[in-house]
Amino acid sequence: MVAMAGKITAMSDAPPAQTPRSGRPLSRRGIERLDLMLLCAEALDLNGGEAMVWLSEELGMTDVLPNRVELWKRRCSNPLRRATRRSALQPAEADALIRILTALSERLYPMLRSLLSSAEPPAITAQRWALFRSRLEELLRERFNLRRGAVQRLLDPEEGPQLCRELIQAMALSSGPGGFERLRASLLDAAR
Amino acid sequence: MKLSTRYEQTSCRLVLEGLPDLSAGHGSDSLGIVTGFTMALAGRQELEGKREHLEALMAVVLPYARHLLSGQARAFGAADQPVAIAPLQGMHQLELRSSQPDTPPLQLQLDDAELADLVRCLDQLRLDPRVAVPFVVPEPQPLRRREQRRRRPRRETLAAPLAGVLALVIAAALTALIPPTPRSGPGATATTKAAVRPAAPPR
Repeated sequence: MVAMAGKITAMSDAPPAQTPRSGRPLSRRGIERLDLMLLCAEALDLNGGEAMVWLSEELGMTDVLPNRVELWKRRCSNPLRRATRRSALQPAEADALIRILTALSERLYPMLRSLLSSAEPPAITAQRWALFRSRLEELLRERFNLRRGAVQRLLDPEEGPQLCRELIQAMALSSGPGGFERLRASLLDAAR
Repeated sequence: MKLSTRYEQTSCRLVLEGLPDLSAGHGSDSLGIVTGFTMALAGRQELEGKREHLEALMAVVLPYARHLLSGQARAFGAADQPVAIAPLQGMHQLELRSSQPDTPPLQLQLDDAELADLVRCLDQLRLDPRVAVPFVVPEPQPLRRREQRRRRPRRETLAAPLAGVLALVIAAALTALIPPTPRSGPGATATTKAAVRPAAPPR
């Protein structure tokens, strides 16, 4: 806990977050992907939920996400959730969540990298993936609507591993100084 | 005064060398003119290049990463460009073409982690406030519908809505088969009333 607080304090030395640009809102698929990546961060870090609240304060997002309840409510805009909310996610709220996700990805980058690397011994990599997937499945079963096709595909033993890898790869490419703009553009992709 | 900036990740190291551009009003600690760069990828030989090579590297690797983020891996870099990148059997093939004649292109296979390291190094370099060189890199943009490859076959995507329409048609057809109940008009009411009037008791 102390180490984590130290890391987050260190992140406050980073350049201040840019003012979120007003733009078009995220598509339904964009909201789903954003929330799933935040869920992956929670699966990778047991204190991920708390870290999101701290990061929201550290990054100066308290005007958009003043407390954990508001953060939770914004995440529940994901239609795949068990307790989903019908209210649309405003562009400034989406930007705040994307900033939190990119900061989490930066913090978790060594773990993301170790999952993606082919240089690691295969047995250890398989063990890491199994641990990550078991945590993610637990969170999905607890919070998500298991009747939705997208959730069933994530839990599917054949299709799920590839989808999880894509989420982890997206998180790795969203970390770093250019990650916010890249991820934001990706989440704003036209609906297929 | 020669300046040098260094960007490192686990498997990638980029070193940018240059000079301050005092004529442009930059400070003496700001790198404004690029004289060269070196890129070292783990387990491979160190590569050297000039500003145009670095720009060509950014021009293909960053859009490639942008598309990969949307799950749309595709090749970047035309045949006449010094750098190209393309997905290859679950890896990413970076091809560096020399301007020297009769020199075969150098092909490097990067895994997902190595690609992420390279992208992070390039991001750090182009967004470094100490570097005052305006690198021409397109802003990441959302992909249009036609730029996205369909991941699920059309048959599978259309199955659910078609099943819904079919169910509606069948329900409508079955409803149409139910004989309509006779409408009760004024004449029909009289007849009914007459019909239900109790017969006179037998005497």
